[in-house]
Amino acid sequence: MTEEIIINKLKELSGGKIIEAVNPSTKRIYIKVLPENLIEVISVLKEKLNFLHLSTITGVDKGQTFEILYHFASKDSVLTVRTEVPRDKPEIKTITSIIPGSILYEREIQDMFGIKVLEIPDPRPLLLPDDWPAGVCPLRKDFKYQRPEEIIPGGNK
Amino acid sequence: MSITIPIGPQHPALKEPISLRMTIDGEVIKDADIRLGYNHRGVEKLFEGKTYIQNIYVAERICGICSHSHTTCYVNGVEKLSGLEIPKRAAYIRVLIAELERIHSHLLWLGVAGHEAGFDSFFMYTWRDREIVMDILEEISGNRVHYAINTIGGVRRDIDETQKTKILNHLKVLRERTQYYKNLGTNEPSFVARLSGVGKLSREDAIALCAVGPTLRASGVDMDVRKDDPYNCYEEIPFEVCTSDTCDVLGRTVVRINEVLQSYDIIEYVLKNLPAGDVRVKAPRKVPEGETVSRYEAPRGENIHYIKSNGTDKPERLKVRAPTLGNYPATVAMLKNGFIADIPLIFAAIDPCICCAERMAEIQDVKTGSTEIKTFDELKKYSKKFDKHTEHKKDVEWPL
Repeated sequence: MTEEIIINKLKELSGGKIIEAVNPSTKRIYIKVLPENLIEVISVLKEKLNFLHLSTITGVDKGQTFEILYHFASKDSVLTVRTEVPRDKPEIKTITSIIPGSILYEREIQDMFGIKVLEIPDPRPLLLPDDWPAGVCPLRKDFKYQRPEEIIPGGNK
Repeated sequence: MSITIPIGPQHPALKEPISLRMTIDGEVIKDADIRLGYNHRGVEKLFEGKTYIQNIYVAERICGICSHSHTTCYVNGVEKLSGLEIPKRAAYIRVLIAELERIHSHLLWLGVAGHEAGFDSFFMYTWRDREIVMDILEEISGNRVHYAINTIGGVRRDIDETQKTKILNHLKVLRERTQYYKNLGTNEPSFVARLSGVGKLSREDAIALCAVGPTLRASGVDMDVRKDDPYNCYEEIPFEVCTSDTCDVLGRTVVRINEVLQSYDIIEYVLKNLPAGDVRVKAPRKVPEGETVSRYEAPRGENIHYIKSNGTDKPERLKVRAPTLGNYPATVAMLKNGFIADIPLIFAAIDPCICCAERMAEIQDVKTGSTEIKTFDELKKYSKKFDKHTEHKKDVEWPL
């Protein structure tokens, strides 16, 4: 299946839920959907178009919104599903019901961007330490790391 | 009663810091839980503050074994964003280093698998041969581990005729020995008996849990980025994707040995058909605005970088997903209903020592199903309290 056929089939099967579909280079497709249509489109991708493998989930801080990208791969192509959630209410539904292997990537997004993944089966932090302050999200653009001042035990006498 | 045993993160037997929590019932693992983050260095945040050239060297240091994988994946993406066409000779040299890296990584893994299975001479043989590969890599790039061969627009070093003949001579020795290991590994009865049936991962589970690399291919799925989504002239190079249908550790071993043999063929082809010409083109410092997904078949599986540029000399976002993270959900599935003795084999490179793990027991009342966590001291107190109510018999006669 070429990229064009995949895009046309997807548009037909999902019934106008695809806001935008581009094919900038060979074997690369980027589509955009609304967060509420995400699960429906992903299940179409999995059931009808054979995109079984989720490579990873990327989060991007775009200022007013967060972009979440789901990178899928099949024998034919690499398809990225793009969706945006507002910064004031960063919430997205889990896709673990369709792709069980997405759990670690969703937990990573929760840690690094503070995007709440609704109905996730395992909401514990994955990478950040247990005593990490709540509401501090390292991969947001407004996070600046500052090295704490070094205190030498027994020094400065 | 089931007990939860924490293994790691700092443990004499673990090679890398990771925390595993095994819920066991007797000898059988009922559940496994993985806690990550002990080796998280914030590389993705670091990328955003460095230039594209500096980031090559940061990417090289993500991993100590597949250092070439991350840089190739990264520079391929950046070249695509800048619209650069690299010389064919450079692409072939990238393939050469990539396949040498695959051989050294797989030989290392084979040795570790032999060691965990109690076959230590296998470990010593394969690690001896790995030295030959490391020497070749040093000959080409000047380094044994961080080759630093990639740059944006091509490679940094060329290879000459004497190096070519040297590599081909070394390959002859390596090929003969690998063939011997293949016969040994698949015919030695005790080795085969130890590996077969351990760490079962069905084809359906492997796909659903998004496993990658030899783990996925050993479950009968022929996914290989080099074939599905070719980069660096892989579409011109003849090779086969190695799979196995046994879905266990033996299958993963066979897949890896076969991949090593395929890599020898690829290297031979690359050296005999190396195109003439330059090895690099000049690349601009700034990268135009855009985004790309770059994939690469690392020794451990699919490696993916998502690069978003904003028109300056620093990336807006660079996401890295290394193959091991993709394999963790599958590893948990493999461990379930396995035996404690198989943990080291399934984790291959991890060799946990159960007896020196922390003393913390999770007590489950089998009748009511309730769970509580008790420390060792609390358990002692509980036993004393329990003991008070039991009648102490004095001067009892020995029954026999």
